[in-house]
Formats: sequence, structure tokens, C-alpha cells
Amino acid sequence: MINATAPLLDVRDLTVTINRDGRLVTALDKVSFFVNPGEVLGIVGESGAGKSITGAAIIDLLVPPLKRTGGTITLAGTRLDQLSPKAMRSVRGGRIGFVFQDPMTSLNPVITIGQQLCDTIQAHLKLGGSQTRKRALDWLDRVGLPNPDVQFKRFPHQLSGGMRQRVVIALALCADPVLVIADEPTTALDVSVQAHILELLRDLHRESNVSMMLITHDLGVIAKMADRVAVLYAGRVAEISPVGELFNTPKHPYTRGLIRATPMPSATGEMRLDQIPGAMPGLGAVPPGCAFNPRCFRAQGDCRATIPPLYHEKSSAFSCFHPLERVTA
Amino acid sequence: MLNYAASRIVQTIIVLLVISFIAFLLVANIGDPLAALLSADATVNERLELIAKLGLDQPLWTRFLHFIGNMLQGDFGFSYRTQDPVANLIAERLPATVELAFVSLLITIVVGVPAGIYCGVNPNSLFGRFIMLISTAGITLPNFVVGILLIAVFSVQLGLLPSFGRGTVVDLGFWKTGLLTVSGWRAIFLPAATLSTFQVAFIIRMLRTQLMEVGQSEHIRFARARGLSEARIWYVYAIKNTLLPVITMLGLQLGNIIAFSVVTENVFAWPGLGSLFLQSIQGADIPVIAIYLIFVGLVFMVINLIVELLYPLIDARVLRRQS
Repeated sequence: MINATAPLLDVRDLTVTINRDGRLVTALDKVSFFVNPGEVLGIVGESGAGKSITGAAIIDLLVPPLKRTGGTITLAGTRLDQLSPKAMRSVRGGRIGFVFQDPMTSLNPVITIGQQLCDTIQAHLKLGGSQTRKRALDWLDRVGLPNPDVQFKRFPHQLSGGMRQRVVIALALCADPVLVIADEPTTALDVSVQAHILELLRDLHRESNVSMMLITHDLGVIAKMADRVAVLYAGRVAEISPVGELFNTPKHPYTRGLIRATPMPSATGEMRLDQIPGAMPGLGAVPPGCAFNPRCFRAQGDCRATIPPLYHEKSSAFSCFHPLERVTA
Repeated sequence: MLNYAASRIVQTIIVLLVISFIAFLLVANIGDPLAALLSADATVNERLELIAKLGLDQPLWTRFLHFIGNMLQGDFGFSYRTQDPVANLIAERLPATVELAFVSLLITIVVGVPAGIYCGVNPNSLFGRFIMLISTAGITLPNFVVGILLIAVFSVQLGLLPSFGRGTVVDLGFWKTGLLTVSGWRAIFLPAATLSTFQVAFIIRMLRTQLMEVGQSEHIRFARARGLSEARIWYVYAIKNTLLPVITMLGLQLGNIIAFSVVTENVFAWPGLGSLFLQSIQGADIPVIAIYLIFVGLVFMVINLIVELLYPLIDARVLRRQS
């Protein structure tokens, strides 16, 4: 899927800090990646690796005391990090749609689904009342809700979790954004519903060719959906690779650890499961050098002394002094 | 919705019956109506006649049914103190109190709601903090102190507003209103302001807390992520989530003022229900006290009923909890 055109979203050296009792702690440390037009970029990592913070930082929706303190974010030539609050508001929902994680809490409980859709559409598109309504009904239909005109008048509590997440997706997409950031879109759902929602996201992506940033901790979701994958660890990029390459020949020891820690049947059909020893360092407790070095079986002196830069290869990049050889993991 | 309304109305009626029964027990067991109604030299026959006439020889529950039946026909009994029908006494005082209550509710809504919203939306602004500081005074100062302070400033020092009475009253036949004359409005302002101090302060603090909490919620964040304007987010999406507790409080406060504005009415010599109640207690006027109790119960229940019937219009989840 990689092509020669300029990336749609280009994030460089994105840094987010949190002010803890006067001490600045780095939550995201110079994270760089890009998303091509029509591409699905998976962002994967353990809880606390900075995945959600990355998504929120792009649309300037960080919850204080988290604060963006450095880096550039460019969307189709526009520097998002330099926009006024007003201009940023038209980007949110208009250029970049955001799918929230938990459909139980992300819909306003006292406003009808139809009203929430119409308000969102009218915030970005200059449409008359009846056209707005038609578009809202159309989106309810596109995300697979039966009887859109009935659902239009309903309140969130009258829908199941899966249906609510469909509404959330409709809300994120109804103003035709060029990029969708989906933050753990299936994590809060039942497994059977998860599959439906993923399918819906993939169908919508194919129909509209919208670019997508899919934030998840689930490598299964990544394998199903993503074109390329960025692996985050302790607020830094560990590796970015096309999805096939990532699963077959991971370069960063952490990536391989993640893959092996995911229950997956091997070629012979048996389940294997290896865990990575230790735990990811918390905020402000990142060791010197490579953040992964205390848990890494390949760590040497240089890993403990300096932070490895992002080495670029043809289609991938990794941040490791001693990458894994090109053998099957 | 119909089920919900019906069940609320039935509940209201049951509670009112219970209150009536308690009030009836009060009338039936405290004091001696014969001593109050008969002259000192009455004969035994006159006495027996009155007993039969008042139905005092009937069993308790028959008398209670009579009591309820009489009330439904507008017969509330007679005051021991003045021998007037209780209904007249209350009807005479009711307009003053109801008008006072509504004007102070008006002040509360006009002043308290916008200020509360401002403090909730801008909790860290200088003006917001200033409002909070003032509202602390409003919460802590007792009504009579506020009333006396207002009289001292506006009546005594500045001589702008009267310190007592209702001013000129227009008789509409069924209702004596002070709201149709300038002097009536001038007279009602200080007592209404006194009554609303606490409520204004209370509503400000409540709205602020509610809004700050809702402002943190995930659905407001999602609304921001969809690019809705800040005005729409706060004034529609957030406010609507805070309305339930606010209208509940406003309703209860309104009932409170109608029923228990005794102190303020006393400070301003306001000829309302509060002072009637006080006089009745001092004179051990049991029938008036009993009917007053039922009336207060009725006011609270009706206000509560209206508030509860408003709930589903604001938050449809109320209906789901019901079923």
C-alpha cells in the first residue's frame, strides 16, 4: 500500500509532557510516524505505552495536566500544531474523525442519537435542516442500524453496546473526514460484537478510502486491519513496519516479545505463549538508554547508555542497536 | 409515560392521605373542642347535643372519613382562637406568601442559574472565584441577619425601599395581589431578596459542581472531538445533564418558602402564612395547625409531582428505571 505520494498525516518528534508537582515527566518522547492516503496505520503497545495520548495529541484533546510540548503535526500540508483553537475545532470531526473506546460513556445520555448526529454534521457541513437529517439517517443506515428513522429518535440507553459503537462510528465519520483515529474501538465490546465492528470499520474504509489510525493493544485486530504498524514502548516508537514484515521478521526484540505473548496457533496447530519478563516502566521511571533494555535479552552496554535513534530501512524503521536477524521469529 | 405519571399521582395521593390522618389525630386528640365552643354555663344537654353534632361519639375511622369528606367539600373546620373558618384564614394569607415565594424563585433563577453556569464553565476565572466567595456568605448567613442587613441599608440608610408590609394591594376578588402596583413591587423586593440569598448561593454551588463534573465526562470529550462549538457543548450538551438535580432543588426550595418563610415574614411584617402559623402555635389553635400541616404537605407533594413529571422530558432514562 506504500506509494510515492506525500503522506496525509506526518507526525514528527511529537513530545507530550505531564506536570507532576512541578516536575516535568515525559509521556511521549519524540514520536514520529506518518499515515499515507487511504492507509490503515496500526498503533500497538502495552497499556501506558502512549497510544491513546498520541491520538489525543493529534487533535489537541489531551486531558490536562498532559500537554503537547514539542514536535510538528502536518495534515495534508496544514500544520495542526500551529492552528488557532477555532481552526482546530473545524479539523476535529471535520477533517479528523475520532472513534472513542467505550460506547457506554461516549454518547450523551440525554440527547437523541439523531440530534447528536445532526449537530455534528451541521458543525462542519453547510447543509439545510432536511438535508442534514437525510444525511444523518443515511449514516445510521450505513453503519448497519436497522430502521434508521426509529433509531434517530432514540436515546443511547435504548441501544445495545454494539449498536452504540456503530453510532459512535457514524458520529466520527458523518462529516467526511480524511482521517479517522480509532482509539481501541472494540476493546469495550463482547468478542462476537468486536468482529462485527471491525468488519464495519473495514467496509467503511474500503468504501470511502479514508485513512485510519487504529490504536489497539490487540495484535489480532492489527493483523486483520492494518497496512503498517507502529509499535510504541514507554512513550517511544520501537518499530514501524508493514504488517506482514512485522509479524514475519520483527526487528525490535520488543515487537517479537509482543507477538510471542499473543495467543496464536503455530504452524503445527499448538498454542504457544511466551511472556516478556518484567513490566513496562511507568511514567517518569524510564531507564537511561533504550527504554526496553532491562527486559531485553539482547541488551548490551550501549543499550544502557544511549537512546537508540530510529534507523530507517526500505519500508520500515526501528529503534534498536542490535536488531533481530532476518530469520523467522 | 402514562404508567409513570399514574404511579406518581397515586403515590402523591397516598402520602397526602397519611399526612391528613396524622393531622386528624392531632385535632382528635389534642385540646378540647367542647370547652372552646361551649359557653361556661352550658347544660349537660347542650353538651350532649354538640357532641352528637360534631360526631365526637362516632368511632375514630368514621370521624376520619367525615374529616376527609368535609375537606373535599371545602369545610376545613373552625379556628379555636378566632372562631373563623380555617379556610378563610388561609385564603386570606395565601396570596402574600405565594407571591413572595414566586418572586424569590424568579430572583433565584435569574441570578443564580446564569452565575452558576458561569462558575461551572470558568471555575478558575477571577470573576468565578469572586462569585464563589460571595456565595459562601449567602450559604452561611441566616435569613434574619440578611433581612435586617437589607433593611438597614436599603430602608434606613438609603431610604429606597419600605421595610415592612405589602404596599398597595389590588383585590381581584379571589386573590389580593401586590404585583400590580409599584408600591407592591417595592415592598416585595427586600423580603424576596432575603429569601433568595440562600437559594441563589445554593444553586450557584450546585450548578458549578455539576457542570465541572459533567465537563470531565467522556461524552463531552467526544463532543469536542467532533468539533461542536464550546457554546453548544456547554449550554446544550452539558447543561442538559445537570438539569435533574437543579429542578429538584428548585422545587423543594419553592415548597420550603411557601411553607416555612416564618422568620423572613416576621422580619418584614409580611402578612403571609408563616405569621399565621406562628400565631396559631402560640394560641394552641389546633385546627389551624392541622389544616396548615395538610396544606404544607399538599404544596410539597404537588411541587414534587410536577418536578417528577418533568423528569422524563429531560432524561428519558428515568422511565427505564421505572419499568
